[in-house]
Amino acid sequence: MRLSELSYQAERFGLVVVWIAVIAVFGAMRPDTFLTWSNFSTIFGSEAVLVIVTLGLVIPLTAGDFDLSIAQTLTFTSMLTAIMSAKMGIPLVFIIPVVLAVGALIGVVNGTITLYFRVHSLIVTLGVGTFLHGVTLWVSDSQTIGGVSSALMQYVIIQRFFGIPISFYYAIGLAAVIWYVLEFTSFGQQLLFTGRGREVGRLTGVAVGRVRLLSFVASGMIGAIAGLLYTGTTGSANPSSGTMLLLPAFAAAFLGATCIKPGRFNAWGSVIAVYFLVTGINGLSVLGFRTFVQDLFYGGALIVAVMVSQLISGRKERTL
Amino acid sequence: MINATIPRLAIKGLTKSFGGVRALSRADLTVHPAEIHGLLGKNGSGKSTLIKILSGYHAPDEGALEIDGRSVPLPMPAGKSEMHGLAFVHQNLGLLADATVLENLIAGDHERLNPWRINWRAEAARARALFDENHLSLDPGAVVADLSPVKRAQLAIVRAADRVRAHQSHGSAGLLVLDEPTPFLPMDDVSELFAMMRRLTARGVAIIFVSHDIDEVMEVTDRATVLRDGHVIGSFVTAETARGQIVEAIVGRSMTTDRIVPALAPASGFTIRVESLSGQTVRDVEMSVAPGEILGLTGLIGSGYDEVPYLLSGASPARSGQLAMGDARHDLTRMTPTIAIDAAIALIPADRQKAGLALDLTLTENVTLPLLGRRLSGALINHRLLARETAAIMTRFAVKAEAPGQTASELSGGNQQKLVLGKWLQLGPRLVLLDEPTQGIDVGARREIYERIIELCAAGASVICATSEFEQLEMIAHRVLVFDRGRIKAELSGSNVTKSAIAEACYQESGFHATV
Repeated sequence: MRLSELSYQAERFGLVVVWIAVIAVFGAMRPDTFLTWSNFSTIFGSEAVLVIVTLGLVIPLTAGDFDLSIAQTLTFTSMLTAIMSAKMGIPLVFIIPVVLAVGALIGVVNGTITLYFRVHSLIVTLGVGTFLHGVTLWVSDSQTIGGVSSALMQYVIIQRFFGIPISFYYAIGLAAVIWYVLEFTSFGQQLLFTGRGREVGRLTGVAVGRVRLLSFVASGMIGAIAGLLYTGTTGSANPSSGTMLLLPAFAAAFLGATCIKPGRFNAWGSVIAVYFLVTGINGLSVLGFRTFVQDLFYGGALIVAVMVSQLISGRKERTL
Repeated sequence: MINATIPRLAIKGLTKSFGGVRALSRADLTVHPAEIHGLLGKNGSGKSTLIKILSGYHAPDEGALEIDGRSVPLPMPAGKSEMHGLAFVHQNLGLLADATVLENLIAGDHERLNPWRINWRAEAARARALFDENHLSLDPGAVVADLSPVKRAQLAIVRAADRVRAHQSHGSAGLLVLDEPTPFLPMDDVSELFAMMRRLTARGVAIIFVSHDIDEVMEVTDRATVLRDGHVIGSFVTAETARGQIVEAIVGRSMTTDRIVPALAPASGFTIRVESLSGQTVRDVEMSVAPGEILGLTGLIGSGYDEVPYLLSGASPARSGQLAMGDARHDLTRMTPTIAIDAAIALIPADRQKAGLALDLTLTENVTLPLLGRRLSGALINHRLLARETAAIMTRFAVKAEAPGQTASELSGGNQQKLVLGKWLQLGPRLVLLDEPTQGIDVGARREIYERIIELCAAGASVICATSEFEQLEMIAHRVLVFDRGRIKAELSGSNVTKSAIAEACYQESGFHATV
């Protein structure tokens, strides 16, 4: 194995090694509280929603667009689920398609405004997200709505395999789908060229506008899935649930782009990055640090991640 | 004829090499006060290197510069040329389209402005006085995007003139360098610009006027200097020099280039016809290419020849036009890259870095993108198969690279271009459109690219090659169309396709251009 190949492998699995090291350090310090299966199964289960939001970001990010509205899509669809289930008594089989359709519609709105009016997606989705938050507060009267059908909780958090709530497996399943799409389908290649070489793609017959629109629809629908799971995790919908997830999801997506497939937003890297971040935060809180560590950790991780990716690409330029 | 006063600008022995290639070789240039001095030469003659040394963009290897008799150390620190009374107006004019005339006028005028308080009313009054003095009808409050092209050019020039005047630290009127300010202007507007230049020289300002257009140089300059292959061929007093002499100086007594293209053999297949094609510059152009033929398109900057490949492939929208390929007729106003690819048309764009390749993606990803959903149908990507396809193309097109999995940015320009060629030629196109196919590529790789193009024709494809390099056309084109202001003004074919004949045709007095 050549040296450059070796350093590439080190880069691919660097974050995994750091993650294991973090577990080892906290484990050595608090073996009986941190290093227990119940602690880890809680982490895996409760952060599945964050994994799904991060995976939702990966698709538009690959196509070169930001979807800042995804967290409020989660909040809005979560509220919609709770209202339909608890207040209107609609069964789950009808709620799920409605919520997914709402997510897709939000994607269409984001995509249409971005493409038709040629506004940067960062601004469009910031506005659409804030608007959705307003709608959520309005329809819920700023109250948490509980009493959601227990069937939803049953299929999200109560059922477990190997002690880990089933929501974790949904997240892993979605990661597998996104990995497959990006790695093995023409659409994955079209997403990649839309993000990294839009003009090259256009001249090679990629319908870059349609690809961007579809990527917003995909992130909207994944946001809706996250909304369903969020409601199922807590059994209720809270009008500010998604707000705290947006930055962690971006931090994880960018951190995930430094590993597994360095330099590209990728599914497994995102999963590892989410669990690396939440392991660190969990460990620090086990040690007795208070809630401020979350912001320190997520904010710091986002900045470190983008610096590392600049270093990676900068080094490539130097070896020209 | 010889001006006894101290020259405004004197360059002696200016030399600059890039990676072993001499772009400028011991060049001398003298510009007198109140003179309009033309600077002529083909692409790559060293004109822009000389200008970029003056503006501080390049550091020369050797050479001395004197302004008004005082020695100015080189390299010129970037941004300091105005301190020495030099100001530049480049072809893109350097104006911010969204800002007002006044904002553009004072942009960068740090020396004079109080950085803590801009007195807009006083500045507007000053601008009006400046415009009056130069007989310009510009409104300081107008937005630049709303101005006509000639007004924008006037603003850029008056700004440069104002800047050197504000800095007249040693009491001289300064020197303006106007780098191709005219190619996109209609004739009447060019005359208006020339009148403005003469008013400036009447006040003692010296002007270096860089142009491709000999007619304009003949009309407006007092003297002119011609560069060829990095050497100064000579300086002339314009009024005492015949047009033919200048053309000869620009083109050179040409040694014949090797013509490597075989004579056009009758081939089976259909002739491709383009009818009433109009785009941004191109107007009502007709052309046809036979199977196996290489058709060259050329002209001076702004003549529109370089627009044709993009219009035919749907990369930019045509205002009108039809493309007939055998039984199929395509309406070019509705052409898209997808339709073009399906009609076996391939475009190799000039901008390799942005439009040819996605530089941070791998060679395999770049090469196989057009295959997905076409030759390789089905949703599933077989990475091994794609890597094998790419490796085969790398061998066939002699792309020197480590592996199909490396990123395209790691390749040299020549290898990148061979890869782009491979990406498109694997589709078996009937019509190949090239724009500056060998730009920034070394001699060896050029030769290989020419050979691939000739092979392609031998197999019966038609090629349209837009280029500003006359040698290239002499080597590979069966026939050449010379463009002028959006129309075809000359056609050369067979043994008439020579470097000098193309140059003659390009620089020939254009019927549209009146002399004042």
